[in-house]
Amino acid sequence: MKAKKLLSLGIACTMAAGLLAGCGSSSGSGSTSTATGDTGTAASTSGASGKVYYLNFKPEQDQQWQDLAALYTEQTGVPVTVVTAASGEYETTLMSEMAKSDAPTLFQVNGPIGLANWKDYCYDLTGTPILGELTSDTYALKDGDATLGIGYVIESYGLITNKTLLEKAGYTIDDIQSFDDLKKVAEDITARQDELGFAAFSSAGMDSSSDWRYKTHLANLPIYFEYQDEGINSTDDIKGTYLDNYKNIFDLYINNSTCAPTELAGKTADDSRNEFLAGEAVFYQNGSWEYVNLTGEGGLTDDDLAMIPIYIGVGDEANQGLCTGTENYWCVNKEASEEDIQATLDFIYWCVTSEEGTTAMANDMGFVIPFKGAAESTNLFVKQDQEMTAAGKTPVSWNFTTMPSENWKNGVGSALTAYAAGTGTWDGVVSAFVDGWATEAALNEG
Amino acid sequence: MEKTIRKYWPVFVLPTLLAFIIGFIWPFIWGIGLSFCQFTTVKNVTFVGFQNYIKIWADDTFVHAFWFSTAFTIVATALINVLGFLLALLLTRHVRGTNIFRTVYFMPNLIGGVVLGYIWNTLLNGVLTLLEKPLLQLNATYGFWGLVILMCWQQIGYMMIIYIAGLQNVPPDLVEAARIDGATARQVLFRVKIPMVMPSITICTFLTLTNSFKLFDQNLSLTAGEPAKLTQGLAYNIYDTFYARSGAQWKGIGQAKAVVFFLAVVIIALVQLRLTRSKEVQQ
Amino acid sequence: MENSQKTRRINNVISVILALTCVAYVYPIVLIFLNSLKSERAISTSRIFEMPNTETFTGVQNYVYGITSMNFLESFWYSLFISVSSVLLILLCCSMCAWYITRVHGKLSSGMYYLCVFSMVVPFQMVMFTLAKTADTLKLNNPYNICIIYLGFGAGLAVFMFTGFMKSMPVEIEEAAMIDGCNPLQIFFRVVCPILKPTMISTAILETMWVWNDYLLPTLVLDIKKYRTIPMAIQYFRGSYGKVEMGPMMACIMLTVLPVVIMYLICQKYIIEGVVAGAVKG
Repeated sequence: MKAKKLLSLGIACTMAAGLLAGCGSSSGSGSTSTATGDTGTAASTSGASGKVYYLNFKPEQDQQWQDLAALYTEQTGVPVTVVTAASGEYETTLMSEMAKSDAPTLFQVNGPIGLANWKDYCYDLTGTPILGELTSDTYALKDGDATLGIGYVIESYGLITNKTLLEKAGYTIDDIQSFDDLKKVAEDITARQDELGFAAFSSAGMDSSSDWRYKTHLANLPIYFEYQDEGINSTDDIKGTYLDNYKNIFDLYINNSTCAPTELAGKTADDSRNEFLAGEAVFYQNGSWEYVNLTGEGGLTDDDLAMIPIYIGVGDEANQGLCTGTENYWCVNKEASEEDIQATLDFIYWCVTSEEGTTAMANDMGFVIPFKGAAESTNLFVKQDQEMTAAGKTPVSWNFTTMPSENWKNGVGSALTAYAAGTGTWDGVVSAFVDGWATEAALNEG
Repeated sequence: MEKTIRKYWPVFVLPTLLAFIIGFIWPFIWGIGLSFCQFTTVKNVTFVGFQNYIKIWADDTFVHAFWFSTAFTIVATALINVLGFLLALLLTRHVRGTNIFRTVYFMPNLIGGVVLGYIWNTLLNGVLTLLEKPLLQLNATYGFWGLVILMCWQQIGYMMIIYIAGLQNVPPDLVEAARIDGATARQVLFRVKIPMVMPSITICTFLTLTNSFKLFDQNLSLTAGEPAKLTQGLAYNIYDTFYARSGAQWKGIGQAKAVVFFLAVVIIALVQLRLTRSKEVQQ
Repeated sequence: MENSQKTRRINNVISVILALTCVAYVYPIVLIFLNSLKSERAISTSRIFEMPNTETFTGVQNYVYGITSMNFLESFWYSLFISVSSVLLILLCCSMCAWYITRVHGKLSSGMYYLCVFSMVVPFQMVMFTLAKTADTLKLNNPYNICIIYLGFGAGLAVFMFTGFMKSMPVEIEEAAMIDGCNPLQIFFRVVCPILKPTMISTAILETMWVWNDYLLPTLVLDIKKYRTIPMAIQYFRGSYGKVEMGPMMACIMLTVLPVVIMYLICQKYIIEGVVAGAVKG
C-alpha cells in the first residue's frame, strides 16, 4: 500500500521534473539559435562581476546607445544591456521593470518631480568619481544632502529654420527678432504659399510620437515667463498669465502649416521631419537632438540651417536665447547588487570621460554633456546656443521638469489636439493647463 | 476503482495544482492583500486600510470608464448577437456559397486584438479624413463606435457559428409541423426557432458580455483611451492607473480598482448563471 | 412549384448580399496589404485609399525592413514556441486533472473544480502585477518556461471543458480495463485519451487562439530585455525610436495575419467544430 503511494509520488515528481526539464533543455537549444539576433544578451548570462542594464529614455538615440554599449562590452567584457522604452511609455516600462528582480541598474528621471516618485530607489552618488567630473553643481539633482541624479545632457530647442527657403521668400533670420516679426513672416509665406511652393511651419503633429513638442516644450515658455515674474522655481498653483501668448504661437503654427489643422491629430514626428527635409516648410520646432536626423546623407547642410528662439511676445525678446536645459537625469538603482552598482558607475564614468564615450555622445547623439572631459560638439545648433549665450542673450531654462505629472502633460496634449482639430475650444486647454495643474499637484502631495 | 485512482493524485492533479497556485491562487490572494496597501514595488509595501478604495471614487476617470464599459457592453452585446443570429439564419437557408461565407465571416476572430486595433485604426482614420471629420483619437463618440464596429467585425463570425449549430439542431419536423398548422415565417422564427436555440443565445450572450466588459487589447491599440481618457474601458483604465501614472499612491489604487472590477465581473457571471439555471429547469 | 421558384430567387438575392458583405469583411485586410506595398509617405490618413502606383510602389522593401529591423522572425519563433508548448502542457495536465475530478469524489476534486470555474471569471488585471512578480521570482520569465504560467492561468477553461465532456463518458470501459490489470495511468492514456480526442481539439483551438494573440501577459511577464512576442513587437512599432514606421508596421501586420489565415483555411473544419463544441460545453 505504502509502496504504491511512494511509487505514484515518485512518478509525479519525475513527471513534474520532466516537464520542467523539457522546458529547460529546449531553452538551451532555443537560445543558441536565436542569440545571434541580439547583441549583449549572450554575454549578460556569463557576467560574473557585475552588469549594467540601462533603461533608456530617448528613443531617438536608441541605436547609438546600443552601439556604445556594445563597444564598452567589447573593451571591458562587462555586459551592458540597453532597452529603450517606446515613446511615451517610459514610465510604464520603468514601473514594470523596477518590480522585477533583474531590474534596471541605470534609469532616468526627468527632474525633481520624477525624482520624488523614485527617490527610494536612487543610489546616493555623493563621493562617486562621476560627480567630480560635473562642470557645475547645478546639474546634480539633490534630495536633502544626497545627490540622487546627474543631469547628463544639456540640450537646446527652438525653431529650426531652413535659411535657404527663407531667403527664397525674401527674408533672412535677422528679420525675425520678435513674435511680431515671426508672425509677419509666417503669414506672408502662407499668403504666397502656392507661388513659393512651401509653407511656413512643418505640421505640428499631435500623434504621441510628436505631441511632446507642444504639450511639453512649447508649454515651457508660458511657464518660464510666469516663474520669472513671480521669482519662483516651481509651484503647485499655476496662474496661466501667458496662456494667451501660448495660444498665439500655437495658432500661428497650426494656421500656417503644411496641412489643415484638422489633420494634425494623426501627424507623426516622422511626417513633420520629412516635410521639413523635403523643403515643404521653413520652420520646424525641435531641438539640437534632431541635428543628426536633418543632416547627413541626402539631408540638409549647415549652410541651410539655423535655430532661432521661439518668440511668444513676452519679456525682453531682443535678448531671448534658445531654450536650454536638461530633463534627463541618470539615477543608479539602489536595490541592485553591489557589483552591478559598481559596474554601472564605471560605465557612466566611462561614457562621460573616455574618448569613445564623449565622442559618441557629442557627435552621434548630438549631446552637450556637462562634464569636464566633454568633446567639442560638431552640432550646429549647440554651437549656435553657445554663440547666443556668449553674445549676452539669456537662455530660457527648462521648467517642464516641474510640471506636476505625465498625466498633466497628456491632459494638455489632448486639449491642444482637440483645439487644433476644432473639436475642442481654447478654454479646454486653459482648463487642462491651470486646473489640471492644481489637481495633479494636489495628488502629488499624497 | 475510485480508490485506486485516488492514490494517483500526485500524478493527475499535482502538476496542475502547482501551476495553478503559481499562476492564479497566490497572485490572486496577494493581489487582494495589496489592494489595501501603498506600494511601488513589493519591497516597500505599507498598509493603508480602505484608503485606496475610497480614493477610487475620487478619480473621475474610473467612474467614467465604468460607464463607458457598461454602455459599450450593452451596445456590443446586442449588436453582435442580433447580427450574428441574422447571419446564421441566412446561412441555414442553403443559399449558394454558404461555406465560403461562413469561412470569411469567421476569419477575423483568429486575428489578435492588438493587430485588429491597428488595422481598424488605419481604416477608420482614413474614412474619417475622407469625410473631413475629426480623427478617432479626437472624438470620444467616434472612438466608442469605432470600438463597437471593431468588436462586431471580430465577434459576429464566432457567434454566428454557434447559432448555426443551434439552428441545425432544431428538428425539421417541428418547423414543418408549424408550417402545416399555418404559421407564418415570422411565427416560425419567434415561436419555434428562437425558443429552440435559447441555449445558444445564452452562451453567446455570456461570451459577448464578458468579452466586451473585459476588453483590453482592442482598446489599447484602437484609441489608447484618447481623447483625454474618454474612451478608456475599465480594464484599460486599471492598467493605465497601475503602470502609467507615476506616484506612490497609484499602484494601490490600481489594485483596488482591479478588485472592484473583479467583483463586477463576478456579479455579471452570477446573474448569468442564475438565468441559465432557470432556463434549464424550464426545458 | 411557384413557391420554390420564389425561394430560389430570394436565395439568390441573399447570396449577392452576403457576397457583398464578404467583400466588406476582407476589405480591411486587403487595405493593409495594399498599403504595405507603398512607400512611407503615401500611407498618411488622407492617402490611405490610394492604390500603389509606379511612384509609390516599393515592392517587398517594407517587408524586408520590418523583418530585419524588428527581429520579426525571432518574435515569430517565440510566439510559436510559447503557443505550442503552453497548449500541449495545458492539454496534458488539464485532461489528467479533469479525469481525476470526474472519477474521484472528494474534497480535492470539488475544490479543484470550483477553483477552476472561479478562475475563469477573474479578469487578468486583478492578478497582473502579482503574477508578473511571482513569475519573475520563480524565473518563469522566458519563452521556454512561461508555459507554466499559462497552465496556471489557463487551466480553468480547459479543466472545465474536459470535465464537461467526461461527465457523459461511460465508466464501464475504464472499469473493465482496471479489471484487466491496467493501472490508472495506463487507463488514462490507452482508454480515456482516445475518447477525448474531439474535446482535445476544441480545447487546443480555444487555448491557441488565446495564447497566440495574448498581449498583456507576455508584456508583463517576459524578460523584455531579450524576448518579444508578435503582439508585443507590433505594439512596439508605434512610438519606438521616436517615430511610427507605418510601412514596415503594415508589412508585419500582414506577416502576422497570413500564417493564421492559412492555418485556418487548412484546418477550417476542426476549428469551426472546435468552437461549436467548446461553446456548447462552456
